[in-house]
Amino acid sequence: MAKSSDIPFARDSSSFFISWISMLMVFIATLILATALITHDSVKNWHKDIAGSLTVQIPSYDSDGKKRGELLQSDTETALTIIRSADGVLGATVLSDAQMDSLMAPWLGEHITTTELPLPKLIDVTIDTKNLPDLNQIKADLSEQVPMAILDSHRIALSKLITLAQNIIRLVGIVLILILISLAFSIMFVTKSGLKVHRKVISLIHMMGASDFYITRQFANRSFYLTLIGGIIGFLIALPVMMFFAYYLNNLTGSFILNATLTHEQWGILTCIPVLTATLSYLTAFKTVWGDLKRSL
Amino acid sequence: MFEKNKLSSPIAEFNGVSFRYGHGSEILKDIQLTLDPGSFHFMTGESGAGKTSLLGLFYMNHLPTRGRVRLFGKAVDTLSRAEKAQIRRQIGVVFQDYRLLNHLNAFDNVALPLRIAGVKETEIKRHVSELLAWVGLEKQLKAFPPELSGGEKQRIAIARAVINRPQLLVADEPTGNVDDAMAKRLLYLFLELNKLGTTIVIATHNQNLIKHFRFDQLHLSHGRLERINPNIRNNGQ
Ligand SMILES: Nc1ncnc2c1ncn2[C@@H]1O[C@H](COP(=O)(O)OP(=O)(O)OP(=O)(O)O)[C@@H](O)[C@H]1O
Ligand SMILES: [Mg+2]
Repeated sequence: MAKSSDIPFARDSSSFFISWISMLMVFIATLILATALITHDSVKNWHKDIAGSLTVQIPSYDSDGKKRGELLQSDTETALTIIRSADGVLGATVLSDAQMDSLMAPWLGEHITTTELPLPKLIDVTIDTKNLPDLNQIKADLSEQVPMAILDSHRIALSKLITLAQNIIRLVGIVLILILISLAFSIMFVTKSGLKVHRKVISLIHMMGASDFYITRQFANRSFYLTLIGGIIGFLIALPVMMFFAYYLNNLTGSFILNATLTHEQWGILTCIPVLTATLSYLTAFKTVWGDLKRSL
Repeated sequence: MFEKNKLSSPIAEFNGVSFRYGHGSEILKDIQLTLDPGSFHFMTGESGAGKTSLLGLFYMNHLPTRGRVRLFGKAVDTLSRAEKAQIRRQIGVVFQDYRLLNHLNAFDNVALPLRIAGVKETEIKRHVSELLAWVGLEKQLKAFPPELSGGEKQRIAIARAVINRPQLLVADEPTGNVDDAMAKRLLYLFLELNKLGTTIVIATHNQNLIKHFRFDQLHLSHGRLERINPNIRNNGQ
């Protein structure tokens, strides 16, 4: 369509502003969303690590090397009660002597029974992977009543990381929403000023019988394209920045903790950002003009 | 049957219409007016009499402050937005100050009502070129309004008002900037349109035109409207 627009948009400087602001917004949104996606993947991996069983040890000797005997038994009971009562724990059992034997067999051989050895009591805790227990709380409760109990600390660290990561993802969500809101506000103000600047032309084509949709569409289309162009540029600028960070992170952590690569689906989500912001821009401009025209005769 | 029925209902009916701008004094007072389909009227009155203001009521530039205006049989104060747009598409307006779009060339300015009405580009091309040739602007198709003379702009404004063959043509001083020969030529364009059924109201100060064409006059003075039939008056003198 070689048809030029009825409204002389080319002559107002707001075009540049729309593209510029959407470039900036999409740039930031792409970077933080990529961060969130990578974090989300890592959280999934950490969940897998944490999943299944967790072990709590009750040592059979106290710190000055004395055998604890009956105390060991009561400590184990208390620990079991604490662990079982925690939210997200599906079950907890003390490993039987037979289980201990088979566990130790690779090291000690079949013929030695573990009852002869000063082995700690092991409590096998099955946890709900969908509703992870608060390991820190369990640890705190245990250390109060069973100071000797040892909780797998790798898991605690991981569960702390998971909490941190989940908060980061939440924060990203909030920032994304703020970005979209401020973009919508910018578009609204630019559109409003456009309506003022072009009031005479609008009223003229209105008098010629142009429907509200005819006029509104021109504003909305313009907003869409300007935002899309700015957004694509912002996205393209974000790419090398992301690649640099991915390279840097993978080198730093050896991809053990973080695996800073994106799947195809995640790339798909990221490329949606310019389209989404452009659509938001279309809808905002549409709503702004539509509402304004309703007030005209 | 339907066609005849449609033709017999008035294009515009003003009933006790008064109008003022904001809190200003009343410019139009108790106007009683019926425009029959296919009629041709001049609107006269001295400068400031309210011709432009009265014409504005025909294309719903503003609503009356009192009384009721009916267009094509419908009371304008009860129309939905879509209905208003639909009615406006059947009305061609030549504005006293032309109101051409400076960022569009002559061709696109004239094509505007057709585009608004959703006419196909191939048809637009044919109609617009033809009409611009008729008003003597075939060489200025690509010219932008600021590059044109007052008379040329006026002819583009007229072409734009008639391109869509409106049911009602409202022209505010459409020949103020052209010589008498061109004014007559433009009037013949309106006459052609009138023969095809368009109802026409032309506000003008040009006594030569009024005398030459002898159409009924709607004359405004002190906010009141009176009809003058030049033939009857001449006979009487
Ligand atoms: N937008 C407006 N706001 C306030 N007053 C207006 C407005 N337009 C016109 N008027 C006043 O209304 C009166 C009628 O103006 P109008 O333009 O209808 O006269 P006219 O008959 O068309 O005059 P002319 O022959 O000079 O074009 C004038 O006194 C004018 O000052
Ligand atoms: Mg006037």
